Amino acid sequence: MSEVSSDLALAGVQSSTDIDFDERGLQHRHEALAGDMPVVAGAFRAAGYCLEHITCLDLRQVEEVAGFRVDYQFNRIGSPVDRHVVQVKVGETETATSIASVYPGADWYEREVFDMHGVLVDGHPNLKRLLMPEDYRGYPLRKDFLDEDPERHQMSGVVVEAEAAQEDVADGEDEA
Amino acid sequence: MTQPAPTMELVQDPEDRDTYYMNMGPQHPSTHGVLRLRLHLDGERILDVDPVIGYGHRAHEKMAENRDYLQFLPNTSRIDYLSGMIYNLGYCQAIEKAMQIEVPERAEYIRIICGEMNRISSHLLWFGTYLLDLGGITAFLYAFDDREKILDILDSVTGSRLTYNYGRFGGVSMDVDDTFLRSVADFSEYFRKRIEEYHKLVTHNVIFRHRTRGVGVMGADLALDYAVTGPCLRAAGIASDVRKDEPYGIYDRFDFDVVTAEGGDCFARHMVRMGEMEQSLGIIEQAVRDIPEGPVLAPKVPKRIRPPEGEHYFAVEAARGHFGMYIRSDGTDVPVRQKLRTPSFVHVSTMPAVLPGTMLADTVAILGSIDIVIPEIDR
Repeated sequence: MSEVSSDLALAGVQSSTDIDFDERGLQHRHEALAGDMPVVAGAFRAAGYCLEHITCLDLRQVEEVAGFRVDYQFNRIGSPVDRHVVQVKVGETETATSIASVYPGADWYEREVFDMHGVLVDGHPNLKRLLMPEDYRGYPLRKDFLDEDPERHQMSGVVVEAEAAQEDVADGEDEA
Repeated sequence: MTQPAPTMELVQDPEDRDTYYMNMGPQHPSTHGVLRLRLHLDGERILDVDPVIGYGHRAHEKMAENRDYLQFLPNTSRIDYLSGMIYNLGYCQAIEKAMQIEVPERAEYIRIICGEMNRISSHLLWFGTYLLDLGGITAFLYAFDDREKILDILDSVTGSRLTYNYGRFGGVSMDVDDTFLRSVADFSEYFRKRIEEYHKLVTHNVIFRHRTRGVGVMGADLALDYAVTGPCLRAAGIASDVRKDEPYGIYDRFDFDVVTAEGGDCFARHMVRMGEMEQSLGIIEQAVRDIPEGPVLAPKVPKRIRPPEGEHYFAVEAARGHFGMYIRSDGTDVPVRQKLRTPSFVHVSTMPAVLPGTMLADTVAILGSIDIVIPEIDR
């Protein structure tokens, strides 16, 4: 077990499992609540871990999560590798919590999560779109995103914060 | 809830007459692509910087969710078109690891040779264009001459110059012949002498040293704050390299050093890349010497590529640093989510921490020295 694990239990991590590194490339998986993330990230930082990436998954159709999941991946700098992924479930109307005050590098990753999945991040210093234009409508990496917005081609010129009405569409699985 | 769209006009606070904002980019020769930096300046000194990215966003991650794993393969080398081979082969290795596919020995050696050749060509392009950024045209012509030789060699076996699609799940698409191996060995011999020449031409150049020493310091603290990787991290004295820390493929069989430098400035990054080219040559020479005969494609690769359900992570050392693929599979042909963790994205995000306090003229020197590739930032 890694040194950081005992700190994590104190930081509010709910459950942890070990994963076979040779198969998955990850050593540990944890589940935490969104509000605990700054403390969890602080425990990793104190143990000398860096934040490899943050990503969001739209699991509304895959698991019975009924929402999104934000995954934070931490790793030790250099060798030996000790990779932890902390998974935070975020319902459709809930928000994630920013860890940009702990890891400045989280700033852009959290903006990307907002940009691509429309998950709001509490306490973020500058939450705006990162990759898509500022006046873009919709959240491209959502499974129900439909790339047929006629206004996409004619820049609306207006920054829309409210989510545009989106049609349900089956996800892009192609069994053919 | 709406608000007026931001405009491209420069924002000037009427109360504050001493500082001003300036756009660098989106169209600027030194950004090597379309990147915009909103600089807040006091005279020629930078107070703050706000990088604006996304001009080259091509939705690779969305594409991955709408096609099966094999169909995504040609996308990989287009993420970073300068070290496309490493990305392409890295993606194959990620899927092979998830699917537990054994790769034949010969294919592993070919991957090493092609990957390291690609790394040299990427560093060469950086070397040439960086000197161009700093105002020296001579080195650019030298570097592109040598880079062309590598592209010709890789072209002869892969059929493409930049956006390779050479990897296959379970090996590589084509076997190499003795002509290829001989030309690689010849190049290696030739290039060792060239590196010495480069040191004479550039490293020992007084103007170059004054332009890069102590400029744009990215210290070891950025590693913890931002997870900076690759040559930028090694220039700060931290010997971290995915090829050593978690050897993928057969990198654990090769004898090479992780090149580091002290200081973390532009000059240190230059020295690290120059040293890495030499180390790559060493790896290539060992691979050419030891490459066995045999097949280059695993005989039994599953027809349907369906990685086991759950999360998979695989990292390779690309020319610019740690390239990671985070794949969430649901056991079908199509991934649920495929996050691409690219090094330049991280490095550009450190600019608000690195640039303030430096001179405007050094922005070009610093931005060039971290070796950004815009399509890799925007994906």
